[in-house]
Amino acid sequence: MKLAKMFKLGAVVALSAVFLAACGSKSSSSSSSSQVLNWDESAELSTMDLSTATDVVSFDMLNNTMEGLYRIGKNSKIEPGIATKTKVSSDGLTYTFTLRKGAKWSNGEEVTAKDFVYSWRRTVNPKTASEYSYLFSGIKNADAIMDGKQDASTLGIKADGKYKLVVTLEKKIPYFKLLMGFPVFFPQNQTAVEKYGSKYGTAAKYMVYDGPFKLTGWTGSNLTWSLTKNKSYWDAKNVKLSKINYSVNKSTTTSYNLYQSGKLDATPLSAEQAKQLSGKTGYTVRHASSTFYLQYNQNKDAFFKNKKIREAISLVINRKQFVNKVLGDGSTAAKGLVSPGLASYNGKDFATAAYTSDSVSYNVAKAKKLWKEGLKELGVSSLSFSILSDDTDKAKQSTEFLQSAIESNLKGAHVTATNVPFKTRLSRTTSGDFDIVLSAWGADFSDPISFLELFKSDNSYNNGGWSNSEYDSLIDAASTTDAGNTAKRWSDLVKAEKILMEDAGTTPIYHQATAWMINTKVKGVIYNSAGANYNFKDAYIK
Amino acid sequence: MRKYLLKRILYMVLTLFLVATITFFLMKLMPGTPYSNQEKMTTAQIKIMNEQYGLNKPVWEQYVIYIFDMLHGDLGTSFQYSNQAVSYLISSRIGPSAQLGFQAMVFGLFFGIIIGSVAAINHNTWIDTTATVVSIIGKSVPNFVLAVLLQYYIALKLGWFPIADWGSFSYTVLPTIALGVGPLAETARFIRTGMVDVLNSDYIELARAKGLSKFGIVYHHALRNSLIPLVTLIGPYTVALMTGSMVIENIFSIPGIGEQFVKSILTNDYPTIMGVTMLFSVGLVLIILLTDIVYGIIDPRIRLAGNGD
Repeated sequence: MKLAKMFKLGAVVALSAVFLAACGSKSSSSSSSSQVLNWDESAELSTMDLSTATDVVSFDMLNNTMEGLYRIGKNSKIEPGIATKTKVSSDGLTYTFTLRKGAKWSNGEEVTAKDFVYSWRRTVNPKTASEYSYLFSGIKNADAIMDGKQDASTLGIKADGKYKLVVTLEKKIPYFKLLMGFPVFFPQNQTAVEKYGSKYGTAAKYMVYDGPFKLTGWTGSNLTWSLTKNKSYWDAKNVKLSKINYSVNKSTTTSYNLYQSGKLDATPLSAEQAKQLSGKTGYTVRHASSTFYLQYNQNKDAFFKNKKIREAISLVINRKQFVNKVLGDGSTAAKGLVSPGLASYNGKDFATAAYTSDSVSYNVAKAKKLWKEGLKELGVSSLSFSILSDDTDKAKQSTEFLQSAIESNLKGAHVTATNVPFKTRLSRTTSGDFDIVLSAWGADFSDPISFLELFKSDNSYNNGGWSNSEYDSLIDAASTTDAGNTAKRWSDLVKAEKILMEDAGTTPIYHQATAWMINTKVKGVIYNSAGANYNFKDAYIK
Repeated sequence: MRKYLLKRILYMVLTLFLVATITFFLMKLMPGTPYSNQEKMTTAQIKIMNEQYGLNKPVWEQYVIYIFDMLHGDLGTSFQYSNQAVSYLISSRIGPSAQLGFQAMVFGLFFGIIIGSVAAINHNTWIDTTATVVSIIGKSVPNFVLAVLLQYYIALKLGWFPIADWGSFSYTVLPTIALGVGPLAETARFIRTGMVDVLNSDYIELARAKGLSKFGIVYHHALRNSLIPLVTLIGPYTVALMTGSMVIENIFSIPGIGEQFVKSILTNDYPTIMGVTMLFSVGLVLIILLTDIVYGIIDPRIRLAGNGD
């Protein structure tokens, strides 16, 4: 009889639990009038230690809970942060920042110049193992310190009293102010770092903040946390949101269900969802400053030295059809290497200024002609090569599309697709083990140089070996002789990209974007395609 | 019995050691570095980082260091969560996964036994056919499809349960059902087959002849005997629940360990890969040992080695 009793008991427990649970979940109500925002994140927050942060979630949280010398506003505009005044020496190598009095850390201490000195030294110190320390390159002694040849205290940053910060550079960095808005350059409170030791930045309670919000409810590995308004922030009166609740949903089906039920104000969409919801109220496309482009391995395959061959491949790719019909996630057809919306001068976007339509258009007739000539010059009748890419669905769609575009239009082309895991793709690219590789690059700061530097002859990311001396000298000029002259530097960079495109040094395919559904009541959210993406300081709910 | 147990535990330790060794060397064969920003780091920087983390040492040396640390209870720190101890990552994530797996198992076994028994008692009637159809559907619909359907219709449209997230019991109901339907279907099929056999056997005839109630016969005699093959299934169920829960955890945004594991492999997070692999292995060998012991207890015909001779 024991067994029977157990079953009865089990049945009662199970059934009552189900019914009780059903009663409990009825209490769903959303109050739209309060200034609480519910935002979706697609990955966990991995760290709040700005010296070791590497991913977008960490940078977004840091950008909203910390304050650096500047805050990056709409369209990458530089807005005041801890710095109230900046003086640049005439040679462009010394920056003197006057700091705000009365800016406070959440532990009550004042934010002073020595917090910046401490933070920067900590990040460049090889012992900290920062993966973003390369951004410090150009600041005096940074490279030597990162190579372990010099002590971190020799870095070109100095506190002159509490409210004056002096930074010395080795070479001009024209986008230096923009960099100051990136979390890696934010200050750190020495008391907190030393107090929490190895736990620093691994949970909300092991951190101090000097930005618009404070992080709460993050245990270091959980899927929900909040940003709560920081009352001791220097500009707290202009922060309207009282709270931002984050929840990590890895399935966009789930996050879209949550959005529909009013539990989320914003959710990213999968390509399938984006195709269905395009044009509906709340549909928003967030462009990333990233470009997917082909590199031709001229070191391994001599036939890629032939410009006509490379050009022909570029011209058979119907980029518009690819982004609209195949990807369908809001990504845009590439106009060039530098992503649109990244930087502009006199109201003109860089991507438009440097656009060479002949090299990225869809022109099969011309491509066939070039291909025929190219083969003739090479003295062969056919070419076989493979396209290396990641093994994600999107990457597979890309290589399939490229393969069919090339094989069906260019006679004698035999293309194989090689799809490997991301890290394998990186290793093979670095070691030169590829014919063509579909690479991706995202800019860390809003300056065209972050893309254009990639194709300098001596750049370690120039894996295919394309080389052009005029291009090299233009890029050099942009960061040396013309660094102080905005107009001249701009024209150098535009000219450089035109050379790269006209010589088909690379074949850009598309610029990545993600489609979102965002509650239309949410206003004032600042999104920048490069660096830390989101700035909620001015956001509010109408 | 004691001798048998000792022998089994010795084999378990050996198995775990082999798993650790093989996983370690296979893992080191994966290309790339554990750094998330590898794409933008120069070769020189990667070299400095490798020195910082001791990844420049020969693999066998890294292996010796790892095993030494592991035996001292140090699983290392994660790469994807910088500075976070792997033991913390595992301990903070294992709770929801274990709860979900346990609930799904209980749900599956409990309702599976009921459906299977009812089908067997009403052998070759419409009830039996219905139960069979239900279990075939349960077996053939993948759990993630069921999860998405439950989420859409029960949670979003009817609003009976939360859509996602993890908290009170109500959050666990839909994921439990989604994950438990597979074991439920399997259990129902096993119980039905077993019980149909048992119900046709001589000793049941005898029990009937003695005038025992139908209820008494089923619970006392039939069910107990048809439970035996089920015990064998618990091992494989555990594996299925461990792997199946990764997908379910993703759909219902549950902070479990499954997804952590997949992500650690994709990012070359060596200490986390090792930590989670060892956790899964320990769990599995323990379950297998446990089922073997339970087997001996419920089936008198099976005596554990070393006991019968």
